[in-house]
Amino acid sequence: MSVVRPFDKLPVLNSAAILLVGTDEDLQQQLAQTILKEKKDFKISIHLATSLPLPAERDHIRPRIDLIVFMINVQSKYSFKNIEASLAHVDANFFLGKVCFLVTGVGRVNRCSVEMSAVRKLGEVYCSPLIFCELELEGIRISTAQRLLRMLQICAGHVPGVSALFFSSLMRSSNDE
Amino acid sequence: MLIYFKYDLLFLIILVSFVDLFSVCSQVEKLAKHMSIYPHNLAPKIATNLECPVNAKEELLDECEVIWKKLEECQSKLTLLGTETLTDSDAQLSLLMMRGKALTAEYNQWQKQTPEIISTNPDVLVELGKEELQKVNHDLEMVLPIFKARNKKLKDDLKREQQWLEEQQQLVEALRVIEEEMKNQVVQFSEKRAFQELKIKMLKIKEYKEELLSALGEFLEEHFPLPEEDGSAQKKKSLAKEPTTKLITLHEILESLINKLMSAPNDPYLTINDTFWPPYIELLLRYGIALRHPDDPKRIRLEAFHQ
Repeated sequence: MSVVRPFDKLPVLNSAAILLVGTDEDLQQQLAQTILKEKKDFKISIHLATSLPLPAERDHIRPRIDLIVFMINVQSKYSFKNIEASLAHVDANFFLGKVCFLVTGVGRVNRCSVEMSAVRKLGEVYCSPLIFCELELEGIRISTAQRLLRMLQICAGHVPGVSALFFSSLMRSSNDE
Repeated sequence: MLIYFKYDLLFLIILVSFVDLFSVCSQVEKLAKHMSIYPHNLAPKIATNLECPVNAKEELLDECEVIWKKLEECQSKLTLLGTETLTDSDAQLSLLMMRGKALTAEYNQWQKQTPEIISTNPDVLVELGKEELQKVNHDLEMVLPIFKARNKKLKDDLKREQQWLEEQQQLVEALRVIEEEMKNQVVQFSEKRAFQELKIKMLKIKEYKEELLSALGEFLEEHFPLPEEDGSAQKKKSLAKEPTTKLITLHEILESLINKLMSAPNDPYLTINDTFWPPYIELLLRYGIALRHPDDPKRIRLEAFHQ
């Protein structure tokens, strides 16, 4: 299966899965560890990938993916191109609130090699929220982890009455302002 | 197109119920787990009616089974849907259309849905209530130390403020006492001081007067000596006249004139006798210092300079 689809498998009780896609593996690792350190009342599985599609041979042991986080490092054109290419392997239904773009390295504007407008355009085209952060700073990493966890909780259906689509609509309207 | 839309709607309805069912399912599972745990660590009162919770547990598990079956059904329907990826050219448009449809479907679903009532089994309700209470209890326990700390801080603050107030009041009192003392002192002090000052002034004036007197005396002694002191004059006089009574100085003449004027202002005249040296009398009369009595040429008085 080369395309990632939402709801392609039955959910696992009291657990949620998040997929981090990005070229910067160190940052991915750090973020994943920070997420795992956070206190939560459900099991969480974090999957790391440098790009999509995911390898087909291990698909049967992979749980249902509830949230895909595309990590774009604005200091590397390669990471941006890689994400753009990966997006083609995501089912359109995922973009109904189960995708977000984590824009990292925004702290040092003079070292940005990716146009901010291009990043914003990406978020707009794929109707997905952009989260700007500097993962090398511990405080921001922790708060980002908390945000992602909250989003994951909603995307996995753990919050009664709030669907991922509904939530992302709220996010979008706040972004547009 | 219509078929496509219907298909999509079905998918979304399934999606929404799927999410909802899942959350209910997980809650129910949790509850069942708790129910098996509670009898061990709660009061014996609950442990006595142990068979009821077993019934409740079974009921809940049955409910879970039903929900899970529904879930599987939905899942199998979902897997029938083909995958759909986005092309760059119209990605945004198609996505927005999808979102629109999905949101409409979700809206319709919410409109149709009636809130699901959890099991009416009293045991389940009791357990749920307990869980809820424990959650609240836990939250409150977490909040308690914060409030304790805040309370303590406020108490400390109050204590400090009261102490401060007391100190300030003491200070005010002390200042008031000092003020009172100062007031009395100031009155006494000013009287004394004025007296002192006057005394000093008087002394100074007296000194000045002495000074003036001695200076005038010196002046008179220097410039108006007695004729006897001049050797030649003495000779002449002794030759001319027989040694007569001792002459008095101009100083003494003036003094007696002043004394007379001061002691007897009604009759300030002084009778000239032999002790008065005539040239000095003449001098006094000529410069208007002394005046002759209009009827008696033998008597003179001092011009009334002080009037």
